[in-house]
Amino acid sequence: MLTTTGVADNNLIQRCLPSPSRRALRPYPVIECFQKIPCNPCSTSCPFHAILPMDSIHDIPVLDFEKCTGCGACARVCPGLAIFIIDESRGDGTGSVTLPYEFCSLPQKGEIVSTMNRAGYVVGEGTVIRVSAGKTSGTPLVTLSVPIEQVHDVRFFCSKKDTDQLVSKDGAEINTDKFINSEGVDDEAMICRCEGITRREICELIAEGYTTVDEIKRISRAGMGPCQARTCGPLIADEIARMTGQPRDSILPSMHRPPVIAQPISFFTGGDEK
Amino acid sequence: MYETDVVVIGGGPAGLMASNAAAEAGASVLLIERFAHLGGQLIKQTHKFFGSEKQYASVRGIDIPLRIAKARELVGERVTIWTHATVLGLFEDGVITVDRDGKYCKVKPSRIIMATGASEKFLAFPNNDLPGIYGAGAVQTMMNVYGVRPGRRVLMVGAGNIGLIVSYQLLQAGVEVVAVVEGLPKIGGYAVHASKIRRAGVPILTSHTLLRADGIDGVKSAVIAQIDNCWQPIPGSSKSLSCDVICISVGLSPLAELLWQAECKMRYVPQLGGYVPLRNERLETSVPDIYVAGDVAGIEEASAAMVEGRLAGLEAAASLGLSTPTIDDERADLRQQLDELRAGPSGEKVRSGLAKAGIV
Repeated sequence: MLTTTGVADNNLIQRCLPSPSRRALRPYPVIECFQKIPCNPCSTSCPFHAILPMDSIHDIPVLDFEKCTGCGACARVCPGLAIFIIDESRGDGTGSVTLPYEFCSLPQKGEIVSTMNRAGYVVGEGTVIRVSAGKTSGTPLVTLSVPIEQVHDVRFFCSKKDTDQLVSKDGAEINTDKFINSEGVDDEAMICRCEGITRREICELIAEGYTTVDEIKRISRAGMGPCQARTCGPLIADEIARMTGQPRDSILPSMHRPPVIAQPISFFTGGDEK
Repeated sequence: MYETDVVVIGGGPAGLMASNAAAEAGASVLLIERFAHLGGQLIKQTHKFFGSEKQYASVRGIDIPLRIAKARELVGERVTIWTHATVLGLFEDGVITVDRDGKYCKVKPSRIIMATGASEKFLAFPNNDLPGIYGAGAVQTMMNVYGVRPGRRVLMVGAGNIGLIVSYQLLQAGVEVVAVVEGLPKIGGYAVHASKIRRAGVPILTSHTLLRADGIDGVKSAVIAQIDNCWQPIPGSSKSLSCDVICISVGLSPLAELLWQAECKMRYVPQLGGYVPLRNERLETSVPDIYVAGDVAGIEEASAAMVEGRLAGLEAAASLGLSTPTIDDERADLRQQLDELRAGPSGEKVRSGLAKAGIV
C-alpha cells in the first residue's frame, strides 16, 4: 500500500498507462502522482498543454496522451520526482525508462547498472543510454535501456558495486526482547538535556505534588539551561497531563521573561543607552 | 534607540516576504535575523517546492531567498537588515531589546511582525542523551549548511515530510538510512517523498516505534518494535538495528516565547504544533500592533508561511496608513492562496487546527 510502505501497487500504475496502440507508438510519461497535494508545476510547464489545466492545485494530473510527445519536460519540473518517461516503441525487445536522478555523481553513458523497482529491490541490469543534466536547478534525467517486460518495474538504479552491499544489509538484525519491559528502564530517558534531569526525577516530583511546569522548573532547574525549555517544556507538560489526568491544553508552559537566551550580566552593562 | 515603522523578527520565508511587502507599501522596515544568513530553514531545503508558481513551486528552497532578495532591490533603501541579531525581550512600552553581534540595542517600532518560526520536538526514550541522537533540523544544518555528514548509518524516526525529505538528503550525501520508523499506521508526509526513498532501498516501517538507543560512547544500535492501536509494543516484534545516528523528526512547535512575553492570548492546538497565538484575519494578535506569520502562528509548509508573511507585511503597513492602490486585490489574492494551499485532504489537519483556534 502506497500510504503504508511508499510503494504504489500495480492497480494504481495500470490506471496511468495509455492505450496499447499509443504505448507502441512513441514515448509516454507515467505520472505516479496518486495523492491530492497542493502542487501544479507539471500542468503549467507542459509545452504541448498535454497535462490538462487544474481547477484546484490539489487536483491529480490528467494527461492527454494524444497531445503528449513524451518530451520529458514534466519529469524535469515535478517536485515529487514522480514522473517517468517510458519508451516501448524501440522494436528490438528492449524498452527504456527515463527517470529523475538527483545523486552525485551522474552515471556515464554506456555504463551497466543494477536496476531497482519501486520497493528498492534489484530487478536486473540496465544500460545507461542518455544522461541529461539539465539546467542549474532542473532535475537531471537518466535514461536506461532495460528488457521491455521490465519498463513498468524499473524506477531507480545503483552502481553494480553498491548492489553487493545491499545484500548484506539485514545481517545486523537481532531479536532483543530481553531489553523491553525490563522494569524501570524507561524512566531513565532524559527529559531536560541541559540540566540532566530524567523522566524518573520529573515523575517523582509530579507524584510529590509539583504539578505545573513552573513548579518543576523551580524545584529541579529543568528548563533553566541554554535551550530555555524549548526542548523539555512540552515533554514535562506531557508527563503532568499523563500523571494528573488534566487535559493537555490546560497545562501552561513556564513563565517567559526576557532575555529569551542566557546572557552574561556584563552584556547588559555594556549597552548603548541609558 | 532605533526607531522604525515595522520590525520583522525572523528572516525565514515568512519574515522575508513580510519585510518586502511592508517596504513596498512604503514602510521603513527593520528585519532582525538570529543567524548570519537570511533564509531561515529555506537555505537547507535542496528539494523543489510544491504549491503553485506564486509560492515558487518547482524552485529549490535554497534558491528562494535569492529570488526574494531580488524583489527587495526595488525597495532596498527602506529595508534595514540586522543579521547575527537575537531579539531578547519585548516590553510593555513597545521597546524591543536585541543582542546585535554582542552589543545590547533597543528598538522602538510602530508595528511588530513576529516570524520566529518553530523548534523541533524531542522524544523521551532510554539513552536519548547519547551522542549521535539529533533532531532532523540539526542533521540538515550539519549536511547542507556546514557540509558535515552526521554519521554512516542513520535510523530516522518519523515519516512526516521532514523525516522523509531529510532521509532523502542523507542518501544524497552518501549516508545509509537503515529505516524510517513511524508510530502512526500511515505515512504522514507526501507519498511522492516516501516513494523516492523507498525505491532507493529505504524501508518505511509504519506502526513502529523506537524503544531505546544502545551504546556507551555513542549510538551503536536502536531497538524498534511494532506497536498496536494503543501504541503498545507487540511482544516478539522488536529488533535491534545497527546504526550510529538516530534522527528525530516528530514534529515542530511554534517558537512563541516573545508572544508569551507580550501576553498575547494563546491556545493549545495540537494540530498546529502546540500553543499558537489567537489572531484576526489581518494576522494581528490579541495585543494591538503585533502581527504573526509562518510557523510561529501554527506549523504549516513553507509555502503557506511565505503567503502569510506577505499578508502580515501588507496589513502592518496598511494599519500605519500606508497602502498601495491594489491592496484590496492583493489581500484577496493572498487569502485565496492560503485557502487553496490548505484545501484538499493534505490540508485537513491545518484546517481543523485553525478552526479550533477560532481562525477561519
